[in-house]
Amino acid sequence: MADHSATHAAHDPNIGNTGLDHRKMGMWAFLGSDCMFFGSLIGTYLAYKGKSLSGPTPYEVFDIPLTSYSAALLLASSLTMVLALAALQDNRVKVAAGWLLATAAMGLHFVLNQVYEFWTFVNHYNLTLSTSLFGSTFFVLTGFHGAHVTGGVIWLLLLVSLAWRGQLDRRDYTKVEIAGLYWHFVDIVWIAIFTIIYLIP
Amino acid sequence: MATHAAFMPGAKVETLTFWGVIASWLTTVDHKRVGILYGSSAFIFFLIGGIEALIMRLQLARPDNDLVSAQTFNELFTMHGTTMVFLAIMPMSAAFFNYMIPLMIGARDVAFPRLNALSYWIFLSGGLLLHASFAFKAVPDGGWFGYANLTSAQFSPSHSIDFWMLGLQILGISSMLAGFNFLVTIINMRAPGMTLMRMPVFIWMSFVTQFLIVLAFPAITVALILLMFDRFFGTLFYAPAAGGDPLLWQHLFWIFGHPEVYILILPAMGIVSEVLPTFARKPLFGAPVVIYSGIMIGFFGFGVWSHHMFSVGMGPVADAAFSITTMLIAVPTGVKILNWLCTLWGGSIRFQTPLYFSLGFIAMFTMGGLSGVMHASPPVDLQQTDTYFVVAHFHYVLFGGSIFGLFSGAYYWWPKITGKLLDERLGKVHFWLMMLGFNVTFFPQHYLGLIGMPRRIYTYAGDLGWNFWNLVSTIGAFMIALSFLVFIGNVIKTTRAGKVASPDPWDGRTLEWSIPSPPPIYNFARVPQVHDRDELWRQKHGDGHGGAPPPKPAPVTAAEIAAIHMPPPSFWPILLALAMVVMMSGLLISMYQVIVGGLLTLFLMYKFAMELHRPAAGHRH
Amino acid sequence: MADHGTTTATHGGGGGHATVRTYIQVAIALAIITGVEVATLYIPGIPNPVLVISLLLMSAVKFYLVVGFFMHLKYDHQIMRALFVGPLLIAVIIILAVMALFSAFLLLPRPH
Repeated sequence: MADHSATHAAHDPNIGNTGLDHRKMGMWAFLGSDCMFFGSLIGTYLAYKGKSLSGPTPYEVFDIPLTSYSAALLLASSLTMVLALAALQDNRVKVAAGWLLATAAMGLHFVLNQVYEFWTFVNHYNLTLSTSLFGSTFFVLTGFHGAHVTGGVIWLLLLVSLAWRGQLDRRDYTKVEIAGLYWHFVDIVWIAIFTIIYLIP
Repeated sequence: MATHAAFMPGAKVETLTFWGVIASWLTTVDHKRVGILYGSSAFIFFLIGGIEALIMRLQLARPDNDLVSAQTFNELFTMHGTTMVFLAIMPMSAAFFNYMIPLMIGARDVAFPRLNALSYWIFLSGGLLLHASFAFKAVPDGGWFGYANLTSAQFSPSHSIDFWMLGLQILGISSMLAGFNFLVTIINMRAPGMTLMRMPVFIWMSFVTQFLIVLAFPAITVALILLMFDRFFGTLFYAPAAGGDPLLWQHLFWIFGHPEVYILILPAMGIVSEVLPTFARKPLFGAPVVIYSGIMIGFFGFGVWSHHMFSVGMGPVADAAFSITTMLIAVPTGVKILNWLCTLWGGSIRFQTPLYFSLGFIAMFTMGGLSGVMHASPPVDLQQTDTYFVVAHFHYVLFGGSIFGLFSGAYYWWPKITGKLLDERLGKVHFWLMMLGFNVTFFPQHYLGLIGMPRRIYTYAGDLGWNFWNLVSTIGAFMIALSFLVFIGNVIKTTRAGKVASPDPWDGRTLEWSIPSPPPIYNFARVPQVHDRDELWRQKHGDGHGGAPPPKPAPVTAAEIAAIHMPPPSFWPILLALAMVVMMSGLLISMYQVIVGGLLTLFLMYKFAMELHRPAAGHRH
Repeated sequence: MADHGTTTATHGGGGGHATVRTYIQVAIALAIITGVEVATLYIPGIPNPVLVISLLLMSAVKFYLVVGFFMHLKYDHQIMRALFVGPLLIAVIIILAVMALFSAFLLLPRPH
């Protein structure tokens, strides 16, 4: 078995002696690290929750229906992401590209919703980064999450464009898989943010 | 492709021109070269940090001195601390990770060679950005720990804190990228038969260190982001007037900062765990226990951070909790010391330079650990904190520990890396001078701290009873400097006319000694099969249970070597690193630079990723 | 591992596999739970501790479903699980510790 691993590794430089792909392992390590990143931001939010001296409170500004819709969007986009992978596994590249495009579109929609939300907070409620602790912590936490989503959308669109140019197929499964892992992570961070920031009183 | 063919082992290598040599270093993806780059850069930054220390010691040699102003002194201790932690010790450890990890696990490369090179260039950019502050007369002056809200725009209006903040952010990215690379390399690229418990202890300590890096740096990344937003965009994270709490910075910083000190010490502990068995000709005593202790130190290192904050008023419950966890973490550390001593006991000891530095490590680190345990008690710490007692403590563990350990590694692995042996006599002179100088410098500082001398003061009155020991400490500092001159002299002498080293000059125990000195680009002509932690020792001397050494394998054929494929060089890592620093430093100059730099970074990330996508036929990575 | 011998057509590191049907079932479960979460918010007179705990539990289930099935972690080699779950636990513990240090208890009543 050990020799088999060594020979196999000689064929594919991305597969290690455990039989696991380096890139997939690296992505999981990165996501673990990103848990600490968002954990620090969420910890900061919770440390300052309820301690703002002035400005609107969360309950005055949150639009729960809109945010719930956004949460549903991301969850749905996770589904389209795994459907894209399943299609790629069967070498149905055009179908996979379609699902990837749908994922990106829903992600983009999420970001646009967030931009709208930010715009409303700033212009209707006078809540900015410097208004209060709530303003600072809310915009930075959700802003960095939105930035992660945006990065993911760009990555997915890149994969779609490669697929359309005939430069993506079943052999690139792992590459699309790690994009998927990143995408789902962004989704689960939103699950945490949605509950902790928006829903919990 | 011509350059690609040059990397086929066994192919004829054309002689490179001067610029060809430069280009080959700028585009290298060879982990050994990246290690040499890290090591050389780290040593230069170490000397710069040392000069900063010498100036501080000159200023403090006499009371009421005016060699430097208070402002300059603040800049000196800030840059000294930041440089030593982030630009000297960490990258020196990284030099050894880079060079030795693949060799010791029997691998030909790291998991992500280009990402590895990228980490180095990002590190160098961060170090250069930090030092560019000198050119702009905006040298960071808020301490290496940058406490809020001294670092706010209100109290630090110049760009000095911005240089520090951006420099650290860049360095953090470098460390994390390298961390992911080494984690995957260690898990996924061990030679056949090398189970986790058969990994050399240096690899284990490095493994735990990488976890600490990728889990601790996000906390300081967030702390720095919050500071950046406060300084540039008017947020209120550390603003007391708006209800913000400067302690948030301290918590986030030390959630990073405490694991960071284990990041600084564990690699040195790993080195000592390799050197002692080699020079005692005995296996490491209780190696599994040393490994488990290392894991526990790493894990529980996340639970002690507020012992840096006993004086801020967290209340008795928090104080007690962190006091207990801090005292507990002394246990696995003490266990390791015991295991090292037991390794020496009964061994057939060869007193050569690498061993000297490891012995120095044990003695000095133990002393540093003892003063550390004293701080673990909050009431005791209330007297010691912010005094020179703490300065003595951390120099005993970081210099007496990490630096001595890293020098041990340098002397130990120098022959493997350069093919030459450092001069033994000069090495011993270096050791004794440094050992003496170090203790003369820092031991009196315990006393100075206990009689009340605070940290970070640029001068002091002459009637406090501090004069004599400050002068002694300064003399010690120059002895240390002299010892480094001896080391540099040794390096120069060895480079010119040093003794050529065999593959295995120390009769070593681990795989790196089974290949030539220096190793070929592919490290191992034949991937080793591993049966033991001390695999090479087993091959040479048998398994110690009466079994004969295994029969020598058939010699390696040219065909085997020709079949080895190594990744070709790439210029995307250095270009991407440059783009990133252009983007980050744009925050000091203009938003246009941030945007242009950002777009360039995105574009280069794309090119970096695409370099290996659908390579041309015959191109192998 | 049985499919280890195949080429890079399969991903390096998968054990079993979820089917498309499983994915759709998970997606429906996620949608339902999200709906229940939001609805719970509007239950009149629900005591705060009950609200908070049920929201956290429901989120944890959603988290587990996405990580386990969509991210395939349920079927993957335990190394991948260790690389993610360990840091996740450390992050959660640190969040709780920071909350305690800043006296930010979850269960204090707040205006709704």
